[in-house]
Amino acid sequence: MQRSRALWAGIAAGVFAVIPLLTRDTFALRVVTEAMMWIGLAVAWDVLGGYTGYLNFGHGAFFGLGAYTTAVLMMRGHWPFALALVAGGVTAGAAAVVAGLPTLRLKGAYFAIATWALSRAVQQLALVLEFTGGPDGMRLPPFLNPMFFYYLMWALVTAIFVVLWILLERSAFGLKLQAIREDEEGAMALGLRPTAIKVQAFVLSTVPAGILGGVYAYWITFIDPASVLGDLVTDQSVVMAVFGGLGTLVGPAVGAVLIYAFKTFFWAYLSEYQVLYLIILGTVIALSVVFLPDGLIGLMARRRIKEPAEPEPADEDSQGLREVAP
Amino acid sequence: MRRGDETEPGLRPRQLFTEVPVLWQLLPQAVLDGLLIGGVYITVALGFSLAFGVMHIIDFAVGEWIMLGAFLGYYLQRWTGLDPLALLPVVFAVFTAVGYVIQPVIHRAVSGRRGNPVLMGLVFTFGLMLAIRGAGLTVFGFFSHSIPSALSARSLFLEAGGLFVTVPAIRLFGFVYAIGITAVLHWVLRRTDFGLAVRALAQNRDAAGLMGINARRIGSWVYGIHVGVSAMTGVVIGSIFSISAQMGGDYTILAFFVVVLAGMGYLAGVPWAAFLLGLVQSLFLVYGNPSYTLLAVFAILYLILLVSPKGLFAKGV
Amino acid sequence: MSRALLTVDRVSMTFGGLRALDDVSFSVGTGEIVGLIGPNGAGKTTLFNVVSGYCRPTSGRVRLDGKDVTGKRPFDLARLGIGRTFQIVKPFAGLTVLENVTVACLLHHPRRRHARQKAWEILEFTGLADRAHRPASGLTLAGRKRLEIAKALSLTPRLLLLDEVVAGLNPTEADRTIELILDIHRSGVSILIVEHIMRVIMNISDRVVVLNYGAKIAEGPPREVAQDPTVIEAYLGEAAA
Repeated sequence: MQRSRALWAGIAAGVFAVIPLLTRDTFALRVVTEAMMWIGLAVAWDVLGGYTGYLNFGHGAFFGLGAYTTAVLMMRGHWPFALALVAGGVTAGAAAVVAGLPTLRLKGAYFAIATWALSRAVQQLALVLEFTGGPDGMRLPPFLNPMFFYYLMWALVTAIFVVLWILLERSAFGLKLQAIREDEEGAMALGLRPTAIKVQAFVLSTVPAGILGGVYAYWITFIDPASVLGDLVTDQSVVMAVFGGLGTLVGPAVGAVLIYAFKTFFWAYLSEYQVLYLIILGTVIALSVVFLPDGLIGLMARRRIKEPAEPEPADEDSQGLREVAP
Repeated sequence: MRRGDETEPGLRPRQLFTEVPVLWQLLPQAVLDGLLIGGVYITVALGFSLAFGVMHIIDFAVGEWIMLGAFLGYYLQRWTGLDPLALLPVVFAVFTAVGYVIQPVIHRAVSGRRGNPVLMGLVFTFGLMLAIRGAGLTVFGFFSHSIPSALSARSLFLEAGGLFVTVPAIRLFGFVYAIGITAVLHWVLRRTDFGLAVRALAQNRDAAGLMGINARRIGSWVYGIHVGVSAMTGVVIGSIFSISAQMGGDYTILAFFVVVLAGMGYLAGVPWAAFLLGLVQSLFLVYGNPSYTLLAVFAILYLILLVSPKGLFAKGV
Repeated sequence: MSRALLTVDRVSMTFGGLRALDDVSFSVGTGEIVGLIGPNGAGKTTLFNVVSGYCRPTSGRVRLDGKDVTGKRPFDLARLGIGRTFQIVKPFAGLTVLENVTVACLLHHPRRRHARQKAWEILEFTGLADRAHRPASGLTLAGRKRLEIAKALSLTPRLLLLDEVVAGLNPTEADRTIELILDIHRSGVSILIVEHIMRVIMNISDRVVVLNYGAKIAEGPPREVAQDPTVIEAYLGEAAA
């Protein structure tokens, strides 16, 4: 099943790569570019949320930190975009270390609270600081080349997906994260250092968010605390990952595409009732938890296997006897 | 000590008393304001702390319950013309019922077969928060309102040794209300059979089950009380400050702050943490830069988590 | 007597006002199997938690191979050669049996592929290979206890702490587990074992340490300890209570 999922992900990446050859419509390109960005954000969120079991309710803060770092360095420091983008990722990762060290030692509830508070603190900071432009935000030099941003986003999101796939599904790191998610105490007895590993996961989850934020800033050319540090980035990433399926890479990606597609139609047809979108997001996530705890991916997997989760009989004695029989 | 309206002409200007430095003249007022508002923060966090202590539910929606309660108070006041403070029991009853009805759904979310029940509860209340906020914005719009009470325009003036303080009557009410709610809750938890059952449940879910305590019903009541107290506090807040559909997030942050400072689930720490928060805020307002108040609060929260993650009294879980 | 691998030196542990361990001293020699027994609440699991780094003792020292390891964290001790099982078995429920053991093998085989190969060997040795791809949550109690041993063994420990790995199994399963323990011992691992079932302790231990109310009340060869009046009284006291 792992292999078939990798295959599907590869096909999807190929489809995204050829879309600009089929249409030159600026609006369509813009929508697909943003859809890819959400795939990257949701998948990155799941490194910590799904694989490690620590819910980051401040994902948007890291996206915004990346966006602001890139914007400030380009506008005030006259850095080239590529370097400023790297700095955006580094800033987000460094912030994760600072925020993670005290909170990732504790139970997940503290982490969830602390990250949510962090996102408000960062927004407040951007509002009161001078060099961020305060509530007026910042304008970046326009670079109006949709194709550039399309392929940049495609390359970045593909790279994020591949790197996470290798680290989480193919290498030791992913297994360690899952072990910690399942039983932190037990994992320690096996030589794992939970706090160090969780902080690494937090960095791995936030660096992509910071980089995507940097791309977003240069692409949209205008950022302010409400747009890149508002709640929506966090809200959508969480809903996409939970709805798609926690603890997988394909799940959040599917969730991102579906939720974003829905949002796009919704925005186009019902733009005067935008707050309804919050109700829908909230309802989707609450219902997912109750009725679809493994997300859409879990639903599909269950359909295919059609096997209950308990393959062994619960009867201890019969099991023991069967084992000694030749 | 005199009593009168804020507009009373007898108010003597402070500049006459130059023997006390101006910043020192402000201190008693700042401390008093901090304590009064800290009192209200007790009730912002009390229900939340109770729900966490008993059921390990982090209620991201706590601020939204405050918002909904405030708006119920606002509309009831406009329809009935009664003083909003007289409507507090009605708001409490309505929202206790709401919480009682919602708790079984939360219970279902946290008792699924999936890994970590606490996390599933978190995601659920996070979703609840989004949905309620969206609904609030849709129905109530983006405007701010206030819920004027008969007490809103009255103040007490105190004078001692050349220092003046003003005590707005509505804030004094908020303080008394918070202390009263805390005392009642304390009494219920310590002196009634229901309280005994709640404490047993908080100690040990399995043992409580063995003792014949209906854990689910108790859980529903606890969540109901949390929602009821929070909503009622919304009305009090609305008659002190103002209300809007966006207000929820600010109060959720305050509740988080108080509860982490107190120690998660440690109910007895809540009042002290709330007073401390109130003092920090009001002193920062007078002696610091007001736009950095929130950041100062976050900095303290961070330091607490770094130095003493189980709260000021090291009694959290 | 052989050289001491583990030395517990006057260890005490208090929780609040409760004295869970009271000035306990004993040692486990290289190549020895030492049984740790005592009535319920005697402090056996607390002692395990101290030795494996989950609790820091209030006073006293723990030495491994002469080196002071008091207060070291569990992951450091795992690296130094202490493997343990938990009385309340807790496999990584969402992972397969193979993945569970692979996590443990990562300690000495940092690459996932190598760890997986090593895990297969461990599964063969412990008789779990036929269930390798099942989710660990689906195992029977016997299977889960065996998985605990397999994980501890994957650390290639010098000292293995076994916390009630036989209790709760039916006689056939119990015999198989005892065989496994003896196999592990023959491969050169020293063992400290807590067990409720006397038959097991008396048969496999070189020496037995008896705890009661947190204090050591007897120590010696199984046969002698079984006849020690203090020990008999401690157990009779429990039966009468």
